[in-house]
Amino acid sequence: MGRRRRVGWRLAIMKKYISGAALLFVLVLAVLPPRCLAAQASGATTQDIFKQFSEHVVKIEVVETGSAAKASVGTGFYASGAGHIVTNYHVVSKLIHTPDRYRIDVIDGSGQPSQAAVLGVDVVYDLAVLRTSKRPKGYLTLESKTVEQGTRLYSLGHPRDLGLTIVEGTYNGLLKHSLYPKVHFTGSLNPGMSGGPTMTHAGRVVGVNVATEGEQISYLVPAERVMVLLERTADVKEPAAKTFLAEVGRQIHANQARYLSGMFLNNTPTVTLGPYSLPTKPADFFRCWADALRRKELPYVAVTHDCSTDDYLFVSSEQSSGIVRFYHQMLSTGELNPLQFYTLYSGQFQAGNSAAFGNEEEVTRFRCQTRNVQTQTGKLKAVLCARQYVKLPGLYDAAFRVATIGARNVGLVTTLSLSGASFDNVQLLTRRYMESVKWHR
Amino acid sequence: MAPLGFIEILDGKGAVIERIPVDSLPIKVGRAYANDVILNDPYVCPLHLAIGPDEQGRLIARDLSSVNGLRGDNGEERVSSLEIHSGSQFHVGHTRLRYCSVDHPLSPTLVDRDGGKSRLRSPYVAAAAVAAIFTLLCLDAYLTTVDRATVAAIVTEPLTTFAMLLVWAGLWALASRIIVSRFHFPEHAVVACGAIVGFFVLGASSEWTEFFFPSIPIIWIAGLFGSGMILAALVYGHLKFATALRRRSRFWAALSVSVAMAGVSAITDFASRSKFSNVMDFTGIVKPIDGGLLPTITVDQFIDRSRKLKTDLDALAHKARATQP
Repeated sequence: MGRRRRVGWRLAIMKKYISGAALLFVLVLAVLPPRCLAAQASGATTQDIFKQFSEHVVKIEVVETGSAAKASVGTGFYASGAGHIVTNYHVVSKLIHTPDRYRIDVIDGSGQPSQAAVLGVDVVYDLAVLRTSKRPKGYLTLESKTVEQGTRLYSLGHPRDLGLTIVEGTYNGLLKHSLYPKVHFTGSLNPGMSGGPTMTHAGRVVGVNVATEGEQISYLVPAERVMVLLERTADVKEPAAKTFLAEVGRQIHANQARYLSGMFLNNTPTVTLGPYSLPTKPADFFRCWADALRRKELPYVAVTHDCSTDDYLFVSSEQSSGIVRFYHQMLSTGELNPLQFYTLYSGQFQAGNSAAFGNEEEVTRFRCQTRNVQTQTGKLKAVLCARQYVKLPGLYDAAFRVATIGARNVGLVTTLSLSGASFDNVQLLTRRYMESVKWHR
Repeated sequence: MAPLGFIEILDGKGAVIERIPVDSLPIKVGRAYANDVILNDPYVCPLHLAIGPDEQGRLIARDLSSVNGLRGDNGEERVSSLEIHSGSQFHVGHTRLRYCSVDHPLSPTLVDRDGGKSRLRSPYVAAAAVAAIFTLLCLDAYLTTVDRATVAAIVTEPLTTFAMLLVWAGLWALASRIIVSRFHFPEHAVVACGAIVGFFVLGASSEWTEFFFPSIPIIWIAGLFGSGMILAALVYGHLKFATALRRRSRFWAALSVSVAMAGVSAITDFASRSKFSNVMDFTGIVKPIDGGLLPTITVDQFIDRSRKLKTDLDALAHKARATQP
C-alpha cells in the first residue's frame, strides 16, 4: 500500500530520477499511438489543445531569496482576467512557512518572470491562489458540469522542469473511499506538474494536478473546490505572507473537528479477533486490511487487523498531518508458558514506537502517560503518547496503545494514532477507543 | 635478661613498623649508630633524645638540644622534656614513637571462626556459586525465549555471559597476584556471581514494580540507586581480595566508583531525554497475573490525568517557539 506522492518537484530529488524519467519516456512512447487516435476522434488534436491553451499555463518557481536560486518548481494556470493563478498549496508551502526566505516567481510562455503574491490557501484540498501584477492574455475556465467516466482529459505542466508538457488521460470519477473528494485521473502526472490544469478538449478545467501513485494512477483536486477558493479570494487584497501559517493552522483545526468528532461512536462496526471484539472501519474513508502470521517454526500466532485513512494533509515538506490509523494485533499460543508468552507480549507492546517523520522545528518531543486502567470488560495497560506542533499551536500528534491483562496465553495490543488533532479530540477518541475494546474470558 | 619494654616506630596511621626492645635505662634515640634506637629520619638529629628515669622514678624523655625538637602526643607543641607512661606516643622529626612496657595491657584475642580463611575461599563455594549462576542464566534465557528454541540456542547466551564472568574474575585474580601475590580466583568469581544475582533481582523487581505502578516516576532513580549499590558491593568485594586496603578505604573506593558510574549514567540519561526524537516511549510492561491484584484507575481518571500531558507539551512547544527565529 504505497503512500501517494505529491507531484511537487524538488531539486535534490531530480538527479535521482533522471534515469527513471528516461525509462518512463520510453513507456509513454509505447502507448502513444492509440491515444492519438482517440484524441483525433473527439475532434480536437492534442496539438490543437496545446497550442490553444498552453499560454494560460505558467511555471511557478519558489526562489530562495538569499541565493536567488529556485528551491522548488510547480505549475499553475490563470483563472481570471485579473491575474489570479491557481496552483497547489504544496508548491508554495515553503513561502507559507518561512516568508522571509522565499519569493514566488511566475514564468509564462514569454519566459519573463514576474513576482506573485499569495491571496489564499486551502491546505485541506491542497490549493493556493496567487496573483501577479501582469495581466494575462487569457485564462482557463472551470468545468462546473459533471464529466462522464472515460472522458478524455489533457493535463498540462512542467514535469521535472523539462518544459511545458501535455499529457493525455481519462477521467475515472471521484474516489469512493476518500475523506476529501478527489478525481481519479488515469494518466501520467509527474513531479513538477503539480498545480497544473487537467482539462477537457474544450479547455474547461476538470481538476488541478495534485498527486500520483505511479502506473498512470493520478489524482486531481476537483474544480468545485477551486471555485470555492477563487470566490473567497476574488476581492482579497494581498494579505501579509506571515498570516498564512496561522490560517493553515485554523484550516487543519476546523477540518479535524469536522471529521474526528463522529469517530468511534457506539455504531462503529466491530471485528472479532479470538475473544476480542474490536472497532473496524469507523467511516467509509478508512481502508482496512487483515493478516495472520502462522508459521510452523513459531510457537505462537499473530493475527492483525489494520485500518487507516488514505488522505494525508501536506503541511510542509517535513510534515504531514491528518492521518488516522489503528492497528490490532492479537497474539495467542498453545505452547509457550505464561512467562515466555508475556516476554513476547511485552515486546510487542513496546515495539515499533517511532513516528515516521518530524523535526525539532515542526514538532515537540513525545510525552507519554502509562497507567493500568479498569474498563467495563477488564483491565488494560494503557499508554498515551503525544507531541505538539510547534508552528501550528493547538494541534497534536498522538498515539494511544493498550494491552489487555489477565489471560495467560492470549493477548491483544492495539494502537490508535492520530495526527493533526486538537487535544480535546485526542482525549475524546482515546476514551471512545479504550471503551470500544471489549473481550470475554 | 627480659626487656623492660619496647620503643615502637609507628606509621602515619598508628600501625607498628618496627619494635625495638629496651633492656636497660636510660636509652638514647637519634640518627647516629651509637644510639640504642636508630631512626632513619633526616629530620632527626644524630643524638636527639634520651629516655630515662628521674629522681622520683618517673620515666622522662628529654630533648638533647635537637634541631627539630621533641613533641608530645598531639605532635604540635615542642617540649624540652616529657613524662612518658606505657603507651605514650611522642614525635621526633617526622617520626612517631611509642613506648610500651612489657606489662602493657592488650585487647582480647579475636575468635577466628573461619580457621583463618574466608568462606569464599573454598573452591566448593565458588563452584556452587558458579553453577547456581549458570542455572539462573539458563532459566532466564528459557523464560524469555519466544521461539521454539533448542537447548543449544538457549544455552548460547548464558555461556557467553558465563565466559565473560570468568574472564572478569580472571582479570581481578591477575590484579590480585600482582598486588597481594595471591590469585584469589574463586573469591573473585563468587563476588562477580553475587553481582549478577544482584542485577538480576534488581531487574526483575523493577519490571514488576513498573508493571504494578507505572505512574511512579522515581522507578528509574531507584533503579539507578540499586545499580549503584550493586556496583559498589562488587568493587568492595574485589578490592577486599585484590588489595591490602583497610575496610574504610575499600568502602570509599567502592562508593566513589559507583557514584561516578551513576553520575555518568544519569547525565547520559538526562541528555537523551532532553534531545529531540521521534520515538514514542511505549514503556509499558505486561506480566501474566490475574487482573484482580492489579491496582488500576478508571477511564475517566486516565483521560483526566492526560491534561498534565497537555500542560507539559504546551510548555515544550512554548519553549520551542521562543527559541525559533
